[in-house]
Amino acid sequence: MPNTPTSPTAGHLLTLLQLSDSALPTGAFSHSLGLESYLDTRAVHDEASFTLWLERFLTQSLAYTDGLAVRLAHEAAGGAELARIDALVTAAAVPRQIREAGVKMGARMLHVATSVFPTPELEAYRLQVQSGACSGHPGIAFALGARGAGAPCADTVAAYLFSTVTSLTQNAIRGIPIGQNAGQRVLRAMHAQVLQTVEMIFGLDLDDLGAAAPGLEIAQMRHEHLRARMFMS
Amino acid sequence: MKTTTSEPPAIRELGPSPFAGTKLVGELRLRVGNRAGKAIATRQYHQGALRILRPHYLDDTAQVCYTIVNPGGGYLGGDNYGIEVAVDEDASLLLTTQSATKVYKTPGSIARQDMVVRLGPGAVLEYVPDQLIAYRGASYRQFTRVDMHQDSSLLFCEVLTPGWSPDGKLFRYDEVRLRTEVSLDGRIVVLDNLLVRPGADSLDSLLFLQDYTHVGMLLAVDANIGPGDVERIRDLAYAIGAAQGIDVHLGISQVSGPGVAVRALSNSTEAINAVLMGVINDLRHHLRGQKPLNLRKY
Repeated sequence: MPNTPTSPTAGHLLTLLQLSDSALPTGAFSHSLGLESYLDTRAVHDEASFTLWLERFLTQSLAYTDGLAVRLAHEAAGGAELARIDALVTAAAVPRQIREAGVKMGARMLHVATSVFPTPELEAYRLQVQSGACSGHPGIAFALGARGAGAPCADTVAAYLFSTVTSLTQNAIRGIPIGQNAGQRVLRAMHAQVLQTVEMIFGLDLDDLGAAAPGLEIAQMRHEHLRARMFMS
Repeated sequence: MKTTTSEPPAIRELGPSPFAGTKLVGELRLRVGNRAGKAIATRQYHQGALRILRPHYLDDTAQVCYTIVNPGGGYLGGDNYGIEVAVDEDASLLLTTQSATKVYKTPGSIARQDMVVRLGPGAVLEYVPDQLIAYRGASYRQFTRVDMHQDSSLLFCEVLTPGWSPDGKLFRYDEVRLRTEVSLDGRIVVLDNLLVRPGADSLDSLLFLQDYTHVGMLLAVDANIGPGDVERIRDLAYAIGAAQGIDVHLGISQVSGPGVAVRALSNSTEAINAVLMGVINDLRHHLRGQKPLNLRKY
């Protein structure tokens, strides 16, 4: 992990905090990313079973999808590379609702990032999305906004992962339901997991992007016809 | 083991090999086109541990069926296999295998298969292999790249099963990756990047296999697959799954292209095959008015 020097990093730290804030209007609160199907079958029903699910989701799914996309976008040399990452991560969302969630949240993240932290790279990506050359993905917009503020790649990936873990925990607090304090305990338990996942993501390559676990994909697909849904995915 | 690095030959009509630079244990290159009203291989090449049987016509259509044979018996650590399939304009190919593909223990290494598919305008490929059996300690990666046209049609499926020990116990393999990338007129539309790591137990496997042992996947990309078709296929798949007398856990969703993806988990190859075959036959009927698939294996 990079160390935390004094004042010069404050700028990127605050940018990461703002982009990772669950109040950021990306609509993350309305997406369970398959969790709701596990709630429906009671496979996830309390703090312990949710902690286990979240740890598996982070290390076995999110790492390969958004997590790797954030790292690759942060490292990307130009628009063509970004377009390739955008196309792969969108096409890899085989369940329809997950694909739609990415495009919706991508548009909102891109809107926030371009209006609050404008950079030439973000503007170029916005134009690629506008022209239809790219679909738009929240991880790519996040990575470009963070990179523009000088955030190191590993911090950017960690912040994004923790932000998604936080949204899912808030959804679990409402959906299971579990208490607010239980939610905070889950989040604390995810610190080590997030840092390990960042390390793991740095060992992956482009072929790993979008690797998907079949059980999770089935849950995400079956969410399309769940009765009495709280979430859009 | 040969130590010489002989480049695969560039074959006229097949062009340069997509596997140039990789030492392959088995290689198969097949180009299919219509001749005298029927699809047939217009060019084929094989070397090493992959061969192809003579063509069959399984119904009254012009679709040709070719069967891939692996006389080597199974995939080992460090083995690389390469398969290239080109289907020319308006030709239809059904590609299957003679028997299950077995991946044995691959200590400190992996076995790998690369498949490159090109479908011309109006071309059809149905890829319906026997199941892939991964034994204890096996790691396998299958990379498939499909380049198709707006009006070509793709159907691709796989069933992944664990190997059995002589006393009938199921083995847990290490990892299987089936990465299938489909591009339509040069644009990536579907990346089906299936990753299965069975782990030590069902908690390890919460997102992968849960309490099941077998995985099935089907991917169809065809401009004529609409949302209504996806709903029909879901109802059909669920009905067949429910009739198996064994739990079959299914997911069906629409993919870009457009197309449909099916995921299946169960404890039996036959149960998953029944569901996938039902979907295949539904697609054949609705997309092409073709009769149910009868592979006549013996």
